[in-house]
Amino acid sequence: MELQEKLNEIFCQVFDDDDIRILPEMTANDVEGWDSLSHVNLIVAIESRFGIDFSQKELLTFKDVGDLLNCIRGKIAS
Amino acid sequence: MIGIENGQYNIGHICSRQQCELGKGAKTAFRWISPRQEIIDYSFADLDAESSRFAQVLQTLGFAPGEILFTFLPKAPEQFFTFLGALKLQVICGTLFSNFGDEAILDRLGDAKAKGVVTKRSFLKKLGRIRDQLPDLEYLIVIDIEQHLATDILSYPALMREASGDFTAPPTPAHTPSVLHYTSGSTGKPKGVLHAHRSVLQQSRTAAEVLQLGDTDIFWCTADQGWVTGTSYGIIGPWSLGVTQIHYGGGYDAKLWFDLLQNEAVTVWYSAPTALRMLMREDAALYRPYRLGALRHIFSVGEPLNPEVINWARLTLGQDIYDTWFQTETGAIMISNRPGIEIRPGSMGLPLPGMEPAIIADDGEILGNDQQGNLCLKSGWPSMFAGYLNNDTVYRQKFKNGYYYTGDTALRDADGYYWFKGRSDDVINTAGHLISPFEVESALLELEEVAESGVIGAPDELLYEKVVAFVHLHKQYAWSKELEVRIRLHVSNRASSIATPQEIIVVGGIPKNKSGKIMRRVLKARYLGQDVGDISTLEE
Repeated sequence: MELQEKLNEIFCQVFDDDDIRILPEMTANDVEGWDSLSHVNLIVAIESRFGIDFSQKELLTFKDVGDLLNCIRGKIAS
Repeated sequence: MIGIENGQYNIGHICSRQQCELGKGAKTAFRWISPRQEIIDYSFADLDAESSRFAQVLQTLGFAPGEILFTFLPKAPEQFFTFLGALKLQVICGTLFSNFGDEAILDRLGDAKAKGVVTKRSFLKKLGRIRDQLPDLEYLIVIDIEQHLATDILSYPALMREASGDFTAPPTPAHTPSVLHYTSGSTGKPKGVLHAHRSVLQQSRTAAEVLQLGDTDIFWCTADQGWVTGTSYGIIGPWSLGVTQIHYGGGYDAKLWFDLLQNEAVTVWYSAPTALRMLMREDAALYRPYRLGALRHIFSVGEPLNPEVINWARLTLGQDIYDTWFQTETGAIMISNRPGIEIRPGSMGLPLPGMEPAIIADDGEILGNDQQGNLCLKSGWPSMFAGYLNNDTVYRQKFKNGYYYTGDTALRDADGYYWFKGRSDDVINTAGHLISPFEVESALLELEEVAESGVIGAPDELLYEKVVAFVHLHKQYAWSKELEVRIRLHVSNRASSIATPQEIIVVGGIPKNKSGKIMRRVLKARYLGQDVGDISTLEE
């Protein structure tokens, strides 16, 4: 499964909406319910699913879904 | 402050038609700024026309005065049209926070026996999962579908196209039920706090006297309409005075918020301590390019405002922040710091003239200055709630000897300033939202891995209090990151994202008293490293 598809599954689960279709340019304003508290759930779910950990510095650099995808991709590759 | 004309207390009428009759029809009622920053201006004439049209829609669907409609929407212009339209018809309007999960929605719609919900297409799945448990729910009115999906899933645009819009609110006495907000207690299900149209007197007065709103102001209240601040001061207070508002549909974003403050020339800004603390954590350089010359006042509500934030605002923005205090049951600001009186950083401020707070001991003795006790209000203020829906017993328990017990504890200093000290119950105030530990514990127990749970609020620098969950797992299960995710998502999707535990601690057992009640104070004392006090009733 493509990374974006896997991440899409996590978004659907976290935001309780099977219709979400993520795109790299999407931001929190494009997903209902993506607030600072549900963002923590999203990050914890991603870390668990991919077996990775984000640093505080990395978390501050995520401006959109594309940034998130790139960071996950980099961590998996290394 | 508004004048009541011909005994007409109808909030929907006062906030729209009356403003038109006062010559403000062409004035902007609100500038809608979408999450993608598209802008639409709505005049008071638009607000009147759209809300009247929706009142007629409800009438055509068979809604009668006293029946209950809910909105379950993110910020959207339709929120305002439907809210005011329902009130024009004397239908009670409840508002639901858009991040509520299934259980939270079911509790509220079920208790209220709601007849209809105005919502978005993306929320239909969530509502569909609980629909068969809501026999009184007749209509889902969906704002973003062009055609009706079924006889009971209706298109808002289609309904509005079919309505003529010729509707005038009937004469509405002061005591007529109006707005319904649910609030959490430390035990049991959330309670429906029912207000009456008379609340507009206090909301209007405080918008004028505390928030200092006048004819030329541009007002921005960042609260969501799912909570009392969002209706009392994001709708009723300012519009009862004919004041222009901005409503932004997106979430927190420091740069974007400051773009809005500057570019929209906001003159009065009402926000929450958590948001202000988040702004305080940003790089100070972010704020340097901004010129906020139009901004006259900043106010805060939700949880106590720490003095550091006030000092930050003085240094960075050249402004004071005035902390205000009220709660769902009071309907409007009761105690506040405000322009014209000395700010005491960290205090709740002074009572509004006419309000009679008192600090009362548990035995009923009215306490003097500098003594901590229950914060109470002499009953009878105009925006006092009319009751808890279907729960008159608890409503009566809130009043003793003519005083309403707020559930907060406080003290009054020698100069009459009130200082918040905490809650007299276990309710958690996180980011200005009250969370019931019982609701979170119940959601946790739905997970097969969890044998027992206990939930407390613990101090947090950003959120004021964070939700901390103690879980005792069944012996065949072990703690894992996957389980943490399951717990977080389950609570978030059953209760709401704000109820999600910020910290989960696995323990060997939950302290209970001999009758099985969770001893949250013991959990809290242990968490904070404090003396647990009397544990004579602790179960062996």
